[in-house]
Amino acid sequence: MEISEPQPQQSKLIELSQLPVNPLIFWGVVTVGLVVAVVLILSATGVVVGANWLLLVPVGAYLLIIGFFISYLSKIYRERNRLMVERIRDEQIKIDEFKKLNQDLENYAKQLFDKDFELTLANKRLQSLEQAKSKFVSVTTHQLRTPLSAIKWTFHMLIGENLGKITAEQRNFLQKGYDSTQRIIMIINDLLNVDYIEADKTDYNFLPINLTELVDGIVFEFTNQVESKKIKLIFVKPSNPLPEVAADPVKIGMMLENLIDNAVKYTPDGGRVTISLSDARINSARSSVEVAIADTGIGILPAEKDKIFHRFFRGSNAIQSKPDGSGLGLFIAQDIVEKHGGEIWFESKAGEGTIFHFTLPIFNAETPPK
Amino acid sequence: MENTNDGEKKVVMIVEDDEFLRSLTAKRVEKEGYKIEVAVDGENAISLLDTLKPNLILLDLLLPGKDGFEVLKKIRSLDAMKAVPVIIFSNLGQKEDIEKAKALGVDDFLIKANFTLDDVVTKINKLVKK
Repeated sequence: MEISEPQPQQSKLIELSQLPVNPLIFWGVVTVGLVVAVVLILSATGVVVGANWLLLVPVGAYLLIIGFFISYLSKIYRERNRLMVERIRDEQIKIDEFKKLNQDLENYAKQLFDKDFELTLANKRLQSLEQAKSKFVSVTTHQLRTPLSAIKWTFHMLIGENLGKITAEQRNFLQKGYDSTQRIIMIINDLLNVDYIEADKTDYNFLPINLTELVDGIVFEFTNQVESKKIKLIFVKPSNPLPEVAADPVKIGMMLENLIDNAVKYTPDGGRVTISLSDARINSARSSVEVAIADTGIGILPAEKDKIFHRFFRGSNAIQSKPDGSGLGLFIAQDIVEKHGGEIWFESKAGEGTIFHFTLPIFNAETPPK
Repeated sequence: MENTNDGEKKVVMIVEDDEFLRSLTAKRVEKEGYKIEVAVDGENAISLLDTLKPNLILLDLLLPGKDGFEVLKKIRSLDAMKAVPVIIFSNLGQKEDIEKAKALGVDDFLIKANFTLDDVVTKINKLVKK
């Protein structure tokens, strides 16, 4: 967008307004000069003699009036020119400013366009990277799980004496091999879970869930594990039936398993794990049921309290007690609880035990969680 | 509880492409008193079903050529096989896989790495007794 310039007109006006003398004096001098010239011409030619001189008075006066009138007009004209020039100058400045503004806008628009292009490219790259990561994780985990299944089953068949009698010492070694394989499988499953949870952010299916039944089912799955560690696993059922919560049963099941597994894993043999449900928050602003999982385990060190929900973080005492672990369990648990609109927190004393609490909102058919 | 008479034995068909997993599974299930039929891929499984009428099918999903889902479709399209229990036994275990299999009509979905062969035998016993 170009703006044409009114240059020629402006320069002409400037010339006019820049006469070197005041027009009043200029035209005054011109008039007086004319009168003197007329008188001199008349006297020299002998046209005006004697009384005729008197005629010169009105002629002179007339010429003088005309002279002043012209000089006045000229002054107004000059003034008008001056104003016009000023105005044109102002306009010109404005035009220049607009031109600059326009140029700036064009530059910004171009920069924006470039940025947009860059961002679109970056976003595309991120998306394909995310897809590649998901694909990589699922293919790898699948490929790893197949040979691990073979190892696990072989150990299990040997331990179960399906392939012949074994000695106590052989059983001991085979059991260790089986346990290690089992731990690798758990880590792979955690990795797969994280990928799955991050990939499907909106893929939650909230249903009215009876939490007491759900917890009961999961506690049952731990029967063998707690027996072998001689840990008392107690589920304190609420005395009054609780209202249903809005939850995705698969995801809540996954996180409950994780929390109970942690409690059992990090509690020394002969300890206790207690799970309880509470209706204390049912009448609060965000009506919810609270679940607590208390153990008599190794606890969480005060210095590490802030990091415990971080992805891949494992407490130093946890690493010492169980060298393998993905550090993903609590990260996943927090993610799941928050997507339900609940909260998760804990109280812990190192060496004495930990209580994990989390809340799940009461199911409300009118306002399901988003 | 082992069946001694071969004629009375219930038949379990194992569709599994990994040779070692297949032999381990066959060995363990056979020990439980079942007659075993094995198929090494989807094509093989489908052609065996022309003559066989197993009491239960243990089906892997990732198979060369025709995959487990296609075999499952074929099984459910055969009149004689409509009601036969099918357990998916795979290392695929993404939600989409499970849902797809459920939609096609499976009785259970087990992820190999998360179960032992004893668990599988328990599931088979439960479903075949029905």
